Amino acid sequence: MQAPRIYAIHDRALTIEFSTSISEEINLLVLQLHASLETNPFDGFIESVPAYSSLTVYFKEDVSITKVETTLLEHYTQCIASSSTNIAIAIQSAKHIIPVCYDIEFGLDLEEVATTCKLSIQEVIAIHTSIEFRVYMIGFVPGFAYMGTLPVALETKRKNNPRLAVPEGSVAIAGLQTGIYPATIPGGWNILGKTPVKMFDKTKEPCSFLQVGDTVQFKSITKKEFEEHK
Amino acid sequence: MSITIIKPGVSCSIQDLGRWGYQQFGVPIGGAMDRDAAKTANRLCENDDEEAVLECALHGLELKFNETVCFALTGGGARATINGIDVSYNRLIKVIEGSILKLHPDAFGCRTYIAFASGLTIKKELGSASTYVASALGGMHGRNIIVGDELIVNKKIKEPNVEKDIVIDENGFGISKWKAQVNLLPNVNDVVELSCVPGPEWELFDEASQAIFSNQIFTVGAQSNRMGYRMEGATLSLKEKTELVSTAVTRGIIQVTNQGHPIILMADAQTIGGYPRIARVCSKDISLLAQCKPGMKVKFKINPHRSL
Repeated sequence: MQAPRIYAIHDRALTIEFSTSISEEINLLVLQLHASLETNPFDGFIESVPAYSSLTVYFKEDVSITKVETTLLEHYTQCIASSSTNIAIAIQSAKHIIPVCYDIEFGLDLEEVATTCKLSIQEVIAIHTSIEFRVYMIGFVPGFAYMGTLPVALETKRKNNPRLAVPEGSVAIAGLQTGIYPATIPGGWNILGKTPVKMFDKTKEPCSFLQVGDTVQFKSITKKEFEEHK
Repeated sequence: MSITIIKPGVSCSIQDLGRWGYQQFGVPIGGAMDRDAAKTANRLCENDDEEAVLECALHGLELKFNETVCFALTGGGARATINGIDVSYNRLIKVIEGSILKLHPDAFGCRTYIAFASGLTIKKELGSASTYVASALGGMHGRNIIVGDELIVNKKIKEPNVEKDIVIDENGFGISKWKAQVNLLPNVNDVVELSCVPGPEWELFDEASQAIFSNQIFTVGAQSNRMGYRMEGATLSLKEKTELVSTAVTRGIIQVTNQGHPIILMADAQTIGGYPRIARVCSKDISLLAQCKPGMKVKFKINPHRSL
């Protein structure tokens, strides 16, 4: 394990970078450090934000940044030690089966993706529903889960001209990632279908349907089933 | 007690000092762009710093007071009148029912803050009254202020001490003799200097780009908004093309797009980003930047001394 890099992104926020690549193992360590800080917060801790391979900690302005750095490294060392001895903090992660209607009315880029990947539409759907994806981080907009890892057969580039309004619930792919748009917003990912499941709900606790560490498998549903689910 | 919005102006929303604790779900911190001005407005009214205020970009706002209200104007970007008479910023103002406040164009600053003594009745969502339009959070039904909105001012718990000295004149309002001490606002002809420190990816930029960034003048682009300031000027490039793994970003971070244009992240910055971060604006200068409007000129003053 290489030594982590720690740097400031604000005078009240430090990022600890575990690695510069993406892996499930590293992301799990990020989550363990996140859980360790939430269960055992230091004085002045506000919140921590997990990303693919780094964690960012926000703290109050009256705390010394060097003290936070020391504390962060202590938590990190503990996480590394406990993960190698299997006494790591148990991360609660849910398994979800998310229904998606892959009708071309919703799957605005389905035909284009099939052409680019030299597959039939049925094959695209078959591949997208065959994998159990992991939620690596949530960002971009509230409730947007970055999930991986997509098989190389479905690897696509982002659209050259992003759409000004991707409809809420759109299930999309880009690179080796897949995600669900939680609101109608601009976006450049390739849209395969639409889910009736709400990804962000401010009245629920937590407000995001998916959490980092959760697993997601997509299930193809008909347009009729989609309407009934709504 | 209430206030009716006759015209919202260029853009007007309810903000406080932000929504904390939800970034892990992708919810931005948000809140007032110029936190210093928002705090000053509240302090003039003897409110808590966290009280919700109105944030008005530039001019055009027109509102009517339906009762006698005490309030304060801070920040800039406009010249204010009550019932057609000029009124100063950074003082406590007491105004009688039926009076009309208007914000007119001005060369200084960009954002006016209006705080009301005792605060506004606004339901907090996810711990904050700040408006975040993309997720319909906070403010008036999760959106910006529109024509006809009626804002409710909280019932007075106590008369602000400072209010007692204010005498209402024949124009229907009175202002405090004392004022809050504030920093000067940037003018359209200024070159605003912003203190910066090198960002996490500073070393990935080529030397020419590092020099351009530190020495040349950039202009605040017309596309700038509460999420970020798009800066126009020379383009910046990396030593070699690098794909970065997305990681957390926040207000003040200067990221550079694939086309080489710097974007300074502001209040509604997304929680995570993937562009290389050349530098960050020191938090003490963010309020100054929030008062720079599109077209204003900015120079980045890199301080090589890093806090870490």
